Amino acid sequence: MTKPDTDMLESLFQDARFAPPPMPAGLMDRVLADALAQQPRPSVRRLRGMWQAIGGTPALGGLITATAVGFWIGVAPPSGLPEIAAQIITGDTFATIADDSVIELTAFGWDIEEG
Amino acid sequence: MMQARLNGAPAHTSRDGMTMPASNDADRADPDAYLLLRYAQGDAAAARLLTVQLTPRIFGHAYSVLGDGAEAEDVTQDALMRLWKIAPDWRIGEAKVSTWLYRVVANLCTDRLRKRGRGVALEDIAEPADPTESAEARLQRGARQEALQTALDELPDRQRQAVVLRHIDGLANPEIAAILDIGVEAVESLTARGKRALAKRLGGQRDALGYDDDKT
Repeated sequence: MTKPDTDMLESLFQDARFAPPPMPAGLMDRVLADALAQQPRPSVRRLRGMWQAIGGTPALGGLITATAVGFWIGVAPPSGLPEIAAQIITGDTFATIADDSVIELTAFGWDIEEG
Repeated sequence: MMQARLNGAPAHTSRDGMTMPASNDADRADPDAYLLLRYAQGDAAAARLLTVQLTPRIFGHAYSVLGDGAEAEDVTQDALMRLWKIAPDWRIGEAKVSTWLYRVVANLCTDRLRKRGRGVALEDIAEPADPTESAEARLQRGARQEALQTALDELPDRQRQAVVLRHIDGLANPEIAAILDIGVEAVESLTARGKRALAKRLGGQRDALGYDDDKT
C-alpha cells in the first residue's frame, strides 16, 4: 500500500465521516413515533418509584406488623398507659394530669394568659 | 450493582444481548444511558434527543455496510425499536448504549447479507447538501463516495464491518471487538486487510477521482 494510496483512502474516509448518506424522508419521524409508542407512561413509573422509595415489597411485612401492633396497643394498652380507646368510645373521662406535677407548663405563661 | 446480563438474556444465547466489562463511572462516560433512563421514566424530550442523535449514526453505518438505502432504513428502524423495548430494563454501567446498538445493527446487517448473498449495486448516492459547494466539486465528491462504497461492497462482510466501524464511525478497536464479538487482534487484522484491499481497488481510480491534482 503506497503512501499516495493511503492518503487517498484517508481522504475518502474523512469525506464519508463528514458527509454521511442522506436520511430517507420520514425515517426520523417513524423512529420517533416508535419511540413514543413504546415509551412507558410516566405515572406508572412514578408510582413504581414511590413504592420502591418506601422499601418495595420487602417493606410490606414491616408495615403490616407496625400497624397491627399499634392497633393492639390502642385496644389493650399495657399497664401505665391511659385507656384512650375506651375513653374515646364511651366518652366517660379524659386523661388528666395533676397540675402540681407539671410545673413546667406554666413557664410558657399559658395559665396567666388564659386566666 | 453490576449485572452479567442485559435484557434478561445471556449474551451468548441472544444476538441482541451482550456482556460488557463493568465501569464505575459508566453513567458519566455514557450520556446516552442517562437519556435512555429518562426515556424509560416517560420523558418525551429524551425520546426526541435519542432519536435525533442515534438515527443518523445507525442509518449511516447500516448504509455503509449494506450499500442499500431501503435495507439500511429497515435495519435502523428495527434496531432502534429494540432499544426502545429494552429501555425499561436497561442497567446503567453495564454496557454503552451505542456499543449495544451497533452490535444489534451489525447482527441485523449480517443476517441480511447472508440472506441476499453478496454484491448490491449502488443506484442512488444523493448529493451533499452544502449549498456553497460548486457543482463540479459536488460531482467529484459524489463520485468519490460512490467509489468508496463500491469498493467497500466488494470486501468480505466482516472486513467491511470492521473497516466501517473503525474508519467511518470512528470507534476504537476494543469497542469494535465487543461489537463484532471477536478479539482486538482480530479487529486489527480485519481493518488492516480491509484497508489494503480498498487501497488496491481504489488505487487505479486516482485520476478519475481527481486525486492527482487535488490533494484533499
